[in-house]
This record gives sequence, C-alpha cells and structure tokens, in this order.
Amino acid sequence: MEFKMIKPPYKYNEQRSYKRLLNLHIALLIVSFFALVLKAFYFESASEEEFKLSFDILRSFDSFLLLIVGVLTSVIVEIFYSLNEGTVEKFYQYKSYVDPINTGLLIALLLPSNTPIYVLALAVIIGVYIGKIVFGGYGYYIFNPVLVGVLFAQISFSTNTLVSGTPLLVLKDVLSGATTETFNLTRLLLGHYTAIAIGSTSAILLLLVFIYLCVTKVIDLRSTLSFLLTIILISLGVGYITLGQGALNFSLINLVTGLTLFGAVFLVGEAVTSPTTRETKIIYGVVIGVMTMLVRLLGDAAEGVVFAVLLGNLLTPFMNRTVTRSNKKRLIKTVTYSLLIVIIITISIGFILQGRLQESYEAMAFIGGIL
Amino acid sequence: MITEKKEFLKPKKVFIPITDEKHKMATTKVAEGDQVKIGQLIAVKYKGKEKVNIVSPISGSFEGLTQKLDRYNNITDHIIIKNDFENTYEPYDKLQGDLSSAVIRNRLADFGIKEVSVDGLFTDIDFSYKINHIVVNAIFINEPFISIDYDFIKDNAAEIVDGIHLLKEAAYAKTMTIIVDKFMDQEALDALGEELSDTDIELRVINRKKVDGADYRVIKDLTQEKLQPNLLENGVIYTTTHAVKMVYDAVRLAKPITKRLIAITGDGLKKNLLAEVTIGMPLLVVTAMLGGYEKGDLNLHIGSFLTGHQVENDSLSIKENINSINISSFTPQDEEVCIKCGDCNDICPAGILPQNIMDAELRNVNERIFELHTDECVECGLCSYVCPSKINVLEWVRRAKRRTN
Ligand code: SF4
Ligand code: SF4
Repeated sequence: MEFKMIKPPYKYNEQRSYKRLLNLHIALLIVSFFALVLKAFYFESASEEEFKLSFDILRSFDSFLLLIVGVLTSVIVEIFYSLNEGTVEKFYQYKSYVDPINTGLLIALLLPSNTPIYVLALAVIIGVYIGKIVFGGYGYYIFNPVLVGVLFAQISFSTNTLVSGTPLLVLKDVLSGATTETFNLTRLLLGHYTAIAIGSTSAILLLLVFIYLCVTKVIDLRSTLSFLLTIILISLGVGYITLGQGALNFSLINLVTGLTLFGAVFLVGEAVTSPTTRETKIIYGVVIGVMTMLVRLLGDAAEGVVFAVLLGNLLTPFMNRTVTRSNKKRLIKTVTYSLLIVIIITISIGFILQGRLQESYEAMAFIGGIL
Repeated sequence: MITEKKEFLKPKKVFIPITDEKHKMATTKVAEGDQVKIGQLIAVKYKGKEKVNIVSPISGSFEGLTQKLDRYNNITDHIIIKNDFENTYEPYDKLQGDLSSAVIRNRLADFGIKEVSVDGLFTDIDFSYKINHIVVNAIFINEPFISIDYDFIKDNAAEIVDGIHLLKEAAYAKTMTIIVDKFMDQEALDALGEELSDTDIELRVINRKKVDGADYRVIKDLTQEKLQPNLLENGVIYTTTHAVKMVYDAVRLAKPITKRLIAITGDGLKKNLLAEVTIGMPLLVVTAMLGGYEKGDLNLHIGSFLTGHQVENDSLSIKENINSINISSFTPQDEEVCIKCGDCNDICPAGILPQNIMDAELRNVNERIFELHTDECVECGLCSYVCPSKINVLEWVRRAKRRTN
C-alpha cells in the first residue's frame, strides 16, 4: 500500500498560535466588559468619606460607543483590503475576525473616553493600514499596529486626547512639591479615578487577566516581569530619594494606575513585536520600563508606556539580529547588567528631580571659580 | 499503554538491505543457491575503508538480489533468503568471564552490530573514536506519545547490565550511565535497580513527560563540553537497552541479531501491539497478519516522532534499527505565520536560536547563519515540536546548515 508523506516531526505539542490569539481575544473582551461596568459605578456625593455608590449604565455609553467604533473600523479596513486582494472568503469564518477585533479593541481601550469618534476611527485606520496591512498582516509587522494608531491620535489630536488630573499627573505635582494629595487605595485598585484611557481600569481585574494570559502562554513572563520590576525598582528608588517615607505609596500608584498594568498585559508581552530569546526579552522589558519612567518623571506627557513600547519595538529587529546564542552564562550576565543599569538610572533620576545635580554642578563651578 | 505482545518469527523469505545512505558499496559473500546458517556472513558493506558485516538472521537458501525500498525511503539492494525453518546456527564460541577489548570488538564486528539505535541523538556502536562514556537509554523512543510496558527490561535486567559492562570494556570507557524515566514501570525499575546496586553504573532519572531534550543535558553534564551533532566525537556512545542486550547476546550467547521488538501502533491499524519480528521480514507481511489497515489516507512513520522517517510504501523490510512503526490517518497541518514567540529558541537543548537561523536563512545572509552556531544543531526536532504555528523549524535549520556547508 502507498502512504502519504509529510516531513517529520510527526507530533506537535498542544500550543497553537490561533489558540493564543483566541485567548487574547477572550481576555480583551473580559477587560472591555468590566471596564464599562466599572465606569458605570460612581459616587453620588462629591466627598470621599461618604461612600454612596450608584450605578448608571449611561455613564459608560460613550466608552461603549468608542469600543464598538474601534472594532467596526478595524474589521471594515481589513475586509476592504481583502476585497481588493480577492481573499475575502476567509471572512466567512469567525477565525479571521479575531485579530482585527483585537486590534480595534486595543486601540479604543488605549484612548480616553472623551476621544471624539472621528479621531478614534482615524487612529484605527492608520494603525491597521500603516501598522499592519502594509507590512503583510498579522505576524509580519515590526511596530505594534495598536501603538502606531494610538501614537498617531496622541500626536495629531493632542488636545482631543488629553486628560488632566490623572493620578500620575497629580503625582508629578507632588514630586515638585506643589501639592500634597491623599489617594484612596481601594478606589485605585477598582479603577475609580480619572483614567488616561478606557483600558486603564481596575488593577485587580488586570492582574487576574495577566495570570490567565501567562498560564495560556499568550504573553511572555520574562519581558513583562522585567518591565514591571523595572518600574517598581525605579519608582521605589526615586520615591525614596525624593520623598523618603512616601516611597512605597509612590511606587504603588505608579504600578496600579496609568497604563502600567494594561501595558504589561497587552503591549509588552505581545509576541510578534518582541525579541525572540530569553536574554533579549529581559533587556526589552527593562528598556521599556526605563523609558516609561523617564517620560513619567522627567517628561511633560502624562504617560510614557505607548512611546516606550514603540521604542522597544524599534530595538527588536536590532536585538534579533545581534544575538548569537542563549545559555546560562549570558542569562546571568544580562540580569546583572540590567539590574546595575536600572539602579544607576534610578539614582540619576532621583538626583535630577531633587535638583542635586544642579547644586553639585554649581558647587563645581564655584570651586573652579576659586581656582 | 501497549501490553499485547505477539511474535512474527516465521517468515517464508527475508530481504536484507546491504547498502544504505552512508554505505554505498557492498559485496555479497555467498552465491545464488548457497545454503546459509543463522549468523553466517552474507555480505559486507563499505564506507571508505570502514566495513560492516551483514549476517543472515535465518537459515535457508540464498536466492539472489533485488531492489527494494528501505526504511529511509531509498531504493537499495537487498539480499533474498528463503527460510528452511531449520534454525541452524553458524557455530561461534560463547565467551564467558572477563574478556579483553579486542575479543569483544571482534565479536561485534563479526556480527555487524553497529547501527542499532539511529533515532535522535543515538550513536552507532563504533570503536574508532576515543570513547570515554557509555550512555544507555532505557526509555522507549516515542514516550510519552506512546507508552509501552517495560517487560523487556524486567526480564533482561542482568543481561542489560552485563551488556553495558561489555561495551565499556570494549571501548575502554571511563563511565557508564543508564537513563530511566520517572514514570517508568515500577517493577522494571526495581529489577534494574537490583542489578545496578553493586556496579558503578550511574542511574539518571529524567521526566519524559516533558519533551525537552533531557538526555542531551545528561550527556552534556557528563562530558562538560560543547556537544557535537555526532556524539561519538565527544567520546560518547549513546545507545539503547535493546542494543546492549544484542551486545550481550552476541558475546555471551554467540547469537547474532535475528529479531527486534517493535511497537507497532497508530489508528490506521486494526490492532496496536509490541511485535517481535524477524529481521528482514517485509512490513506488509506483518501488517497483513494484524488484519490490514483502516480506510482513508494513511501515514507510515518509522522511529521517533520527532526525528524519524516516513516511508511511502509498506514493502520495506524490518531492520534491527527499527524500534517503532506508526501507521496513522493522514492529517496535514496548516502552517501559520511565525509569531516570534521564541518557544523554539527556549527549548533548543544546544542553546542555539532556531528562529533567528530561520530568519537569516530567509534573508539569505550566510555570515549570520555562521554566527548563530548553526553547525551545533543536533537535529533533535524539538524546535519544530514546540512551534505553535506548526512551522517545520528544523527543516529551515537544515537548509541553513546545508547552505553554509
Ligand atoms: S535547532 Fe532545533 S533541532 Fe537543532 S538542536 Fe536546536 S531544537 Fe534541536
Ligand atoms: S516557535 Fe514557531 S512561531 Fe514561535 S518563534 Fe519559533 S518558529 Fe516562530
């Protein structure tokens, strides 16, 4: 009897790329749903002591609309493209919708709820077309299409996508000594604050999703953990240098608000745009963490995650094309160097913020003057 | 788990391949019509100066040569022997007691015991290299996809241990190691443990449920150096318990290899079992006795699932280096795009980066392929096994290897 032939290996393990995409899809739907629900809760009285929680679904209507528009635009762009290419048959299956929906949802989740709808639609079109389709679709792009879209919106429509009074902005004022502020931890954990984006929701929820995605291997633990650890280390260190006692709170707010957790779950660990070896994955996470904190502490913008991850994406091809092998020695070396660099950067930022560098420079000039 | 056992030891005719990919030249040592006995030299195959004996697994008459498919899916020359069912052996001495290296080597050479384990990392039993370590793997090659009972080890523990010692003597090796599975049959482990207790054979336990190249790490641990694709160059003979039992039989019992225990499995067959098959018996005779095949497109896979070979026709004859035959329904897998997850880079036991090699091969940059230590790939197939996009990464690495060579 004749047999069919395929090249070995004959067995594969249970991991499938499509399954990972689907898991991400489920996670995104869960996050979107809860972000909307949590937004619908609000405090009736303005004062924080009286907890009178009310529920009004209309409060999250604008966010809901944005999510729907994001998804529809993304799907329509992809369908138009495949109409042009003659590959539209694939859209008879739900399978082909998963990735467009993910992209659309992510872009919408990364923009604030007061974004005008046309801005969002433009961002999605730019993100999907320039970020994804031009490169050849899922798996081929260099920059995360989501971030291309979001960055476009943030730069071109900066006033429309601006949010003031987010915890991180308040924190900046605290650092410079302009104000003092007490945060309510429960509210922060539940996502009840002026958020920079729809997706910047409850930290607890994001943490649960994070665990789910790690277990299903959708996101890589090494890049995300090194990203989070870098943020924790820098914020702790800078907090200690500048605030002393308040370091822990400072670090906590940096961790649970803003796009830190959202970024860790959906942006940093994204496989296609991150490097492929364990050493470079660690470096990638550290670079993004450092960039994020630099923007947050020294820059004008409220949030640095989007920009930092794009910078990481930019470094990915370079890292992929310079590594030669991976072994224990290199891993240890990478971890040690990363740690050292993070510590040095922490100390420098702390001193810059305190103006000590300025002082010592002036002191040097003074000494120089005498001599 | 497969426990049913059956013997297929009465073939009317056997077909013995005398050439293969490595040994392109061969000469027959008998003429048509000659009577041959079990263990009688019937042919010699050559690779350069190196020669390997081929002995008859049955007694009967030599019927000439024919061209047939072999287990590597190549058409090669085969010797035909018609069985006379007399089972007369060519007389050889049973060698007892302590033996010198030369005596053991001669006996193994006489019987042509060399290429018994050919899957994955396994090496030939070859004494032309300077050997320091004997490593024997007691685990069935397709564990954990197919589990077998380990009655073979239970019944032959003493013979296996003696066989390992014979190999060590023959090779002047320094260490002996046997690798077993954490989840192996307890009775088999006990039997083996009892025999091992007074010897200096080291027992290494690995977890075969995780398919992660644990044997590679055991050997790396032993040699403490960079492993070559051919472990003999690192001074390691790495083989199976079946092979050392064959060594024992050849030396102590003066018996050549006449049969092989093979796991014949897959949903394309009416029955899955462990079969004891005479060397040289065509596979189709065996499967016919098992009741034939199920309907539909089938796949015939020989050896390890990760590194084995597929054959297009069931006319191939059984060889001593076949340990597993799988006949399953054909399910083509759609290759998806590489999502750069890095799973293949993580699993590679050699510590090289198959994804990056694939990328370099796609971009045609030889320098980069060189820089990525592509030559260190031991072709274990793990990178393809873990790929979630079902890309045959190993094929790309092979292509890169070929190009830079
Ligand atoms: S590249 Fe693939 S086949 Fe080669 S050693 Fe690494 S995992 Fe094994
Ligand atoms: S395992 Fe497959 S999908 Fe993942 S990086 Fe390797 S080749 Fe690409």
